[in-house]
Amino acid sequence: MSLIKQLWFTVIAILILTLGGSLAVGLTALRSYTEQEIRVKNSDNVNALALSMSQLDKDPVIIELLMAAQFDTGHYQLIELHAPDGELIARREADGRIASVPDWFVDLVRFDVPPSQAVIQNGWQQYGTLTLQSHHSFAYHSLWQGAARLIAWFGLAALVGLLLAGWIVRTIRRPLEAVIAQARDIGARRFTTSPEPRTRELRQVVQAMNRLSASVGQMLHTESEKLDRLRRRLQQDEATGALSRDAFMTQLSTHLESDDERANGSLALVRLAQLTEVNQALGRAHTNELLKSLSQGLHRIALAQGGGVVGRLNGGDFALLVPGSEDPDQVAEALSAELDALRLGEASMRLGLPSALCHYAPEDTIGELMTGLDGALAAAETQGDLGQQWVETPRGDLLYTNRADWRHALEQAIAQGPRLANFPVLDAEGGLMHRESPSRLYLKGEWRAAGTFMPWVSRLDLSTLLDLAVTKAAIATITREQGPLGINLSPASIRDARFLSQLTALLKAHPEEAKLLWVELPESAALRDLERFRHLCRELYPLGCRIGLEHVGSEFTRLGDLQDSGLSYLKFDRSLIQGIEASPQRQTILRGMATLCHSLGILAIAEGVASDAEWQTAIDLGLDGATGPGVRLAD
Amino acid sequence: MPPAPHSQPRCSRRGFLGGGLALLATFLVGGWAGQAKGDFNPDQLRLVMRTRYGGRGSAMLEEWFALLERLANQPLQTQLRETNDFFNRRIRWLDDIDIWGQEDYWATPLETMGKAQGDCEDYSIAKYITLKRLGVPTRQLRMIYVRARIGRSQITQAHMVLGYYETPSSEPLILDNLVPSITPASQRVDLDPIFSFNSDGLWAGGSTQSRANPVQRLSRWSSVLTRMQEQGFL
Repeated sequence: MSLIKQLWFTVIAILILTLGGSLAVGLTALRSYTEQEIRVKNSDNVNALALSMSQLDKDPVIIELLMAAQFDTGHYQLIELHAPDGELIARREADGRIASVPDWFVDLVRFDVPPSQAVIQNGWQQYGTLTLQSHHSFAYHSLWQGAARLIAWFGLAALVGLLLAGWIVRTIRRPLEAVIAQARDIGARRFTTSPEPRTRELRQVVQAMNRLSASVGQMLHTESEKLDRLRRRLQQDEATGALSRDAFMTQLSTHLESDDERANGSLALVRLAQLTEVNQALGRAHTNELLKSLSQGLHRIALAQGGGVVGRLNGGDFALLVPGSEDPDQVAEALSAELDALRLGEASMRLGLPSALCHYAPEDTIGELMTGLDGALAAAETQGDLGQQWVETPRGDLLYTNRADWRHALEQAIAQGPRLANFPVLDAEGGLMHRESPSRLYLKGEWRAAGTFMPWVSRLDLSTLLDLAVTKAAIATITREQGPLGINLSPASIRDARFLSQLTALLKAHPEEAKLLWVELPESAALRDLERFRHLCRELYPLGCRIGLEHVGSEFTRLGDLQDSGLSYLKFDRSLIQGIEASPQRQTILRGMATLCHSLGILAIAEGVASDAEWQTAIDLGLDGATGPGVRLAD
Repeated sequence: MPPAPHSQPRCSRRGFLGGGLALLATFLVGGWAGQAKGDFNPDQLRLVMRTRYGGRGSAMLEEWFALLERLANQPLQTQLRETNDFFNRRIRWLDDIDIWGQEDYWATPLETMGKAQGDCEDYSIAKYITLKRLGVPTRQLRMIYVRARIGRSQITQAHMVLGYYETPSSEPLILDNLVPSITPASQRVDLDPIFSFNSDGLWAGGSTQSRANPVQRLSRWSSVLTRMQEQGFL
């Protein structure tokens, strides 16, 4: 039984005991008081009557008249006169009916007052014994009224008592519930902290739990930092903080092969053309500073565009990958601005900062893209210091030519309903964990992958519309197949409060389906909007949804910020998984990440697993599941 | 000792009768406090007597115990006579105001014996309790308010005597402190009976426990009964 229930039982028991007891005592006292009143009345009246009769002539008529007068003007049940030998001389009796009081009450109290007797003297002799009994009707009546008043007062007292108790229980209950919620969170390995309640005992518990959470947070922070250092050493160029060539190329291929909004975007090459001259003139250290500034500038652009990847291909060549960028011209402008600032900052000599940009789309290959960009970059170099060139690739896949057409087509397709693709995510034993379901829209006579339309969806602010439609489709699928299903939400959607309430309402209307729904967001989107993401978690967690992050890798250190939000799973980016079987260092990182995830009760899943070797290694490293082209459900 | 016939009014106080009657109603209803067990307790009586009245009182108490023992199996006539004589001889008549410093104080037999003083109702109470102790049914004993003419004068006083009724309808024998012998009522032409009472109805069944409730025990009669119970008479 819960503490609150026990409190209530105690309160009610005490109320019943005290008030019920008082009522019983009060009624008993009232009853015995009334009984005494009757007794006194009986004996007073019988004595007074006997005394009067003693003083009179014992003429039978006078005696009878006296009795009748007393009886008729008073409230009597019975007046009797017996001779000393027991013979009845006179008798007056009323009917014993008791009006205006319920029978059960009469039965309950039932006065026990014997008639009173007194002896009438006739000189020295006894003339007779007078017996008198008062009518009880008035007594029952007054007792009944007294009882009703008592009950009313006690009822009022009980009501006030209950209100008071309710208030007290509520003040106890709120902090208690908070403590329970925190304890439950910690039990589920969500190391939350909560404000300390005022109740001393509860405060101590909360303090202890907060300390635990803090130390877990600290541990998490240290460990993830260690892992991140390892990862950076492995994947990043030490001098500039950009990705190494290999790592960047892996990212690029991951993006090109992906089936979502990352499959579309902008790719840029920047070259510090005068690297040799700069190195000779300014020295190695200064040159490294300069390269670092360039890298940081590119990172700033990526951040401003909602996430991107910066790589140092070799020497003074840098690449910038901005997936799903809403407006490619923006990237170009931002790039020009950054490069210009860099040039101005190094006024002493000519740097030579040409750049080349291109779109990429799902059908492109790395070779074609890089060849095109290299050519364009060479052309840009001839243009002067800040030359910029676009690689105009003929786009065979351009479905619509202008915004209006896209909007019309997308709205229609969304209204028609998206179709959900189906990629299994398997656990270590090969069982189905859930199915990843990127959306497909029917455009120009074909079901198109997300990469095709996602940039336009976000450009035209249709993300929330699409996400709602996808959620509905997912619920329908779950109802049909009764299996767990994973969907992606767009970064734009979690920024929309209205979408969130619609989503919550939708899931609340389907509580059973909600429990089988896995909802995921790109790591970058979640961390960019940490508060909104937490809010999403807070809303969806109680509904039984599982919430996860995909493409996790570059910002794993910040997992500590999310550990208490109720995250259920992480999907590690392909760049960590690719060729894992041959990279002991990356194995170390991945093993550490998986261990950290497990300590927080979070599932670790490998993304983009392409071969059995990768799959097997990932499972050996302790990951809980895998997905990707190399992962197939065994029949 | 009984007072001289012509001396002070024996038993007179203003409102004696009225006050007594008013109380009567109550004591017929009321009993006395129930802390005592309702048993006759000689040790308790001795203790109370010794602590309150010392050796003289104790001596009289012992005489009273001896009287009870002696009369235990005697004929009724002897019991009545000896009881009447015992108190008439040993107790000196005095007004309550002189004994107790208050008007109309009803003393228990122990107090009466302790002081060796009493007025009319104290005699009656003591005789009543003694006879009751000797096994005389209370329904045969009635305390009677009477109007007494003093000597041959026309002066009348309120007075109380104890009457013994062999049957309810018979003529009572009068135990009075004014005259030494017990006489049938008809010979007492100096007395006019007014009203009578006893403790019947105060006890439930054969028990000596009071049937009534403490709040009703406000009368002198019930007060004296209560004190008797505390002292160990009842």
